[in-house]
Amino acid sequence: MYLLWLRVAAILYAAASVAVFPAVLYGMVRWRKTCVHLAGLGFFFHFVSVVEMLVQAHRWMPVGVRELESILGLAVVALFFLVWWIYDAISLGVFALPITFFVVFVPALGPDRYVFPSNGVRMSWLVAHIAALLAAYAALGFSLLASVLYLLQERRLKSKRRAAGDSWWLPLDWLPPLDTLERIAHTTLEFGFPCMTVGLLIGAVLVQESSLGAAYFYDPKVVASFVLWAVYVALLFVRRSAGLRGRRAAYLSGAVFLVMLAVLMANVISQVHRYGPR
Amino acid sequence: MTLTLIGVNHKTAPIEVRERIAISREDLPETTRALSAVPGVVECMIVSTCNRVEILAAVEDSEVRLSGFLSEHFGLDPAVIGPHLYEYRDQEAVRHLFRVAASLDSMVVGEPQILGQVKEAFAVARASGTVAGQLEHLLQSTFAAAKKVRTETEIGSNSVSIASVAVELARKIFGSLQGRTVFLVGAGKMSELAARHLVQQGAGKILVTNRTLERARRMAEAFQGQLVPQIVPFEQLYEEASQADIVISSTGAPHPIFRREHGQAFLQRRRNRPMFFIDIAVPRDVDTAMGKLEGIFVYDIDDLQQVAADHMAERGREASDAEALIAGEVERFDQRQRTVNVAPAIVALQQQAEEIRLTELKRAHARLGPLSAEQVAAVEALTKGLVNKFLHPPMQALKQAARENDAVRLETLCETWSLPANGAYELEQEPVAEDSTSNATNSERPESAHMSHTSGTDRQ
Repeated sequence: MYLLWLRVAAILYAAASVAVFPAVLYGMVRWRKTCVHLAGLGFFFHFVSVVEMLVQAHRWMPVGVRELESILGLAVVALFFLVWWIYDAISLGVFALPITFFVVFVPALGPDRYVFPSNGVRMSWLVAHIAALLAAYAALGFSLLASVLYLLQERRLKSKRRAAGDSWWLPLDWLPPLDTLERIAHTTLEFGFPCMTVGLLIGAVLVQESSLGAAYFYDPKVVASFVLWAVYVALLFVRRSAGLRGRRAAYLSGAVFLVMLAVLMANVISQVHRYGPR
Repeated sequence: MTLTLIGVNHKTAPIEVRERIAISREDLPETTRALSAVPGVVECMIVSTCNRVEILAAVEDSEVRLSGFLSEHFGLDPAVIGPHLYEYRDQEAVRHLFRVAASLDSMVVGEPQILGQVKEAFAVARASGTVAGQLEHLLQSTFAAAKKVRTETEIGSNSVSIASVAVELARKIFGSLQGRTVFLVGAGKMSELAARHLVQQGAGKILVTNRTLERARRMAEAFQGQLVPQIVPFEQLYEEASQADIVISSTGAPHPIFRREHGQAFLQRRRNRPMFFIDIAVPRDVDTAMGKLEGIFVYDIDDLQQVAADHMAERGREASDAEALIAGEVERFDQRQRTVNVAPAIVALQQQAEEIRLTELKRAHARLGPLSAEQVAAVEALTKGLVNKFLHPPMQALKQAARENDAVRLETLCETWSLPANGAYELEQEPVAEDSTSNATNSERPESAHMSHTSGTDRQ
């Protein structure tokens, strides 16, 4: 039965992870309430699941990676609620809730590995995994490009030299307005984020079927991907909360882009991700 | 039929003369009808704007004097208006009209209003029943030429007035101006004009402040009908300025009222959303150090004027391309016109051939005896085909001669084919001498490409 409660908790955490972004990034009060309620319910079912799991096992010590992951997830959410209770802040939920979901997701699948019914289904998940991550990378690249164009347009407007023979800005007449560039940069980032999250999640589903187990989390590519995800969240968060734009936003986008390049380059040493024979 | 264009414009006549013959929108239909009643005038229209009054007419012969109409209708001494008049005939009239509609003859080259004004004048003339085939054809070609100039050159792509430059820059920063807040600091005509432009582009809120509250109130009243501006006490200048996207400052303060620290505070309150300062005060209201802040854009009066002057120079460069386009369009119009003029000769040739065909067919029928319906149809088709094939070369030759304005060849062709050479078709005559009363000959016409910007607006 504990598995059922854990699965219910995982679903509630997933919903809370979705709700936390509009709540934090856009300060939407309704989403904030929804997020807290969903996370609270998830925590309740998660707690019941953990207690039942340990009672059934007649021990209070977790054994095995899956039990450990479940309790780690519970601890993360507990801390999230502690911060919320003391400081009335849910901003950390942007990291805490999706991480909890990631951690709880694999144990919620059950003690045995989930095996895809056919190779076709497996390939479909693999294609979805790659497509979602490539979409996220493309969005990140596009956002960086828009940020760089923002810098050029800003410099051009600041320079005040325009047209006439002495201007080297003239070929940049086609540049969109600053506000449009800023919105492109932000919207593409926001589009890329769910793509990246879904891509990583599907990756987790795919890897649990393999015999890699915990080794999966030591793979440099996987580690770099999770770092990229965290940096991505930070980028979104800072852009939104501090109203970051212009030069600093471009630099930050550039930094995230470098992490993305590191993720791509990690293929060279990755055990999990091999594109073709070596 | 001769095409005549007579008029005065901002280059040939001072405002004192132009205002005496300016025709209001209400009076235009009546004046146009009065013009059409002048003996010898077949078709006519009048273009009257603040910078020009021009009469375009198709007259029966070149002796018709339209300058007399202007003197009589407006009760002016011919000696007063005569020195300022210019007159063009036929091809030169077409060229001038094309240049006017394409805004190459405007005070501000490339301004868009003049084409609308020519269209309006044409609509009035058409409603008054004073234009028919020839002017209709000419005006349609005029509009097409003007459109071509607009689309194929960048003559009208850049703003040349301070107010429209400010709007263009604001667009470069904010994209759409829909719902943006404009803050007028200090009351001045120029800032009011710039703000009006911004409101026309969709700015949603106006704040007005001035050291003297009464002046701020008066300025706010000037906007009524567009928006209801919010009057801000001058003491709250720095608190309220941060909600403005665009600040137009024109106070008489002897030192900058917006300094770097103010800019930093604004950006903090606006969460780094950009601000655009249009500083049209002398001495300047905005400290140059503030313009160095990321997210704050400051343009003073010199910057705006520089951009406007650059745009003006660009338009000048585009104008030479536009002139070449106009020359091509005038040539094309002439060719079409000449082809139209040779049409009666072609019709006469076709009629002659048809008469011969019918006569010969009748004679053949008498010899052949009764034929079946199919046989009659076959003979008809055969003869018609022969005639058409036979006529094709001379018809092409006539059209070619007309297009090339080759009067000798046309006359030879008419003689060869016994076509009426009675003037039913006309070729372009050698350019007529300028009317002796006209003051502005073609060579004297001022070039518009180097016109300097003298107006605060784009209006014609």
